[in-house]
Amino acid sequence: MIASIAFRKFKALRNTRVALAPFNLVIGPNGSGKTSLIESVMRLKTLAKLPLATGAASRQRADGPAIEFNFAPPHEGITAQLGCVSDLVCDTLRIIPEEAAGWAALRDELADLRSYTLQPEALAGAAQRADGARLSSSGHNLAAVLAHLRSAAPAAFAGMRAELFRIVPEFAGLELVEEGGQVSFALQLTEGGQVPADELSQGTLCLVAVLALAFDPDPPRVLCIEEIDRGFHPRTLREVRDALYRLSHPRSAGLDRRPTQIITTTHSPYFIDLFRDHPDEIIISKKQGRAAQFSRLSDRADLGELLGEGSLGDMWFSGILGGVPEER
Amino acid sequence: MKLALLSESPADEAALRVLVAAVLGGQPQFVAPGYRARGWPNVAQLMPAVLRHLHFNTDADALVVVADADDTVVHDARHEAPGYFHPQCRLCQLRAVHRQTVKKLPPAQGRGRVVRAIGIAVPAIEAWYLCGRDPGVTEAAWIEGRVEGRAPYTRAELKLRVYGTDRPSLPHEIACALREVGRQRSDVRRLENDFPGFALLAADLRAWTPSANKR
Ligand SMILES: [Zn+2]
Repeated sequence: MIASIAFRKFKALRNTRVALAPFNLVIGPNGSGKTSLIESVMRLKTLAKLPLATGAASRQRADGPAIEFNFAPPHEGITAQLGCVSDLVCDTLRIIPEEAAGWAALRDELADLRSYTLQPEALAGAAQRADGARLSSSGHNLAAVLAHLRSAAPAAFAGMRAELFRIVPEFAGLELVEEGGQVSFALQLTEGGQVPADELSQGTLCLVAVLALAFDPDPPRVLCIEEIDRGFHPRTLREVRDALYRLSHPRSAGLDRRPTQIITTTHSPYFIDLFRDHPDEIIISKKQGRAAQFSRLSDRADLGELLGEGSLGDMWFSGILGGVPEER
Repeated sequence: MKLALLSESPADEAALRVLVAAVLGGQPQFVAPGYRARGWPNVAQLMPAVLRHLHFNTDADALVVVADADDTVVHDARHEAPGYFHPQCRLCQLRAVHRQTVKKLPPAQGRGRVVRAIGIAVPAIEAWYLCGRDPGVTEAAWIEGRVEGRAPYTRAELKLRVYGTDRPSLPHEIACALREVGRQRSDVRRLENDFPGFALLAADLRAWTPSANKR
């Protein structure tokens, strides 16, 4: 969907370009532009809904922040430029060429970008039953999404449940309780009894949310998730990666549907370890002073030797790969 | 006999349980959940701690360890000479780690030392899975290819042949692993013949007799 993004003077991203794959894991220290990358995608979504800037008014502020997007086929002929007044206000979207025939179709696809920062407390809450068509950014309507999935796509719901109980065998049932337009959920223990959502562990709540996204029969074109490892036991991270691959590489999961591009971030060496066979999916964001640069792990000439000498997570922690905090 | 397994993934562990049982000709008892390492060199780093834990805190008799060779030196008959140790051979390295760890441990739990069975999959465990299905995949073919400066296949190709995709889900990986070792479980002679790194594991397993291990 998005082939590349080039940044100029946008927060820490002073002058850098990142090519995006179907799956992208962004690693780096705090403040190195991981969140800015995701923010830029969501600003593109917001501005694509508004009328385009055209003519002389659309010219970039000569020296201001700017973000430029290029797209994968069939939209490879279109460039989208966000013009910004400051780091905080990007208020114009310009398309090159201005009369691009494919813009209407691309604009529809851009409306289907989603970004998540899953909040365990929010995931556990009751939600308006009618508010279940898509998971909100914090995941606060998870219970409603589950109820919607159950009624609108029973097969997908059954698949999601089966996957959940396989990964967390202490549970064998998912109960949805509807009352006065509100819905909440609980998990039934294999040994009997049930645990209401607000008493579930953070990792279990996040797993339910990730699986709800992975089994959505109509997933978004681009899915951004911040700190995907949050709350998970290291041994469960393989299952989390697999759930995301189900979206980004549906054919590998035996699904005949269009892929969802994934952009996610992590600080977990254990999650990074899981990309040994696909180092091309790791983007390292390196910070020097206040400026940050993106690079792909697979661009390293000595990657083969590195992989023979230790795990990727350990390599990253050591600093060999870059993407570690600066120290005085 | 009670065994512990140190492996790199739940799929490897599932397959190794079947292969170990096939060699021992029974259903051994396994310490559960199995111990997990994060690839090489983490396997070798963890092994002393796992051995000490087994020795003092469990009634396990033995530790089974299998690691991938990747691109490292493959163990051969010359490495079996008394006192010989090849520093780039993972089998030699893991045997040395075991030897050095257990010799320092006083008797505990009513047994002498925790014995070991060590195997190295050349270049990766998926090659074992393909044994009998893909005659071009053998340890000899790998070594010959390396001598000639061209690998006959890559790890990625082996994975693709076994799983049908380069991004298998964990259940799919386990199902494929169990399908392939299930095909071989009734007779592991071909696997031993084509993969000396497995034959050494099998020889270690057969050398165990519970009485030899008691003091
Ligand atoms: Zn050796």
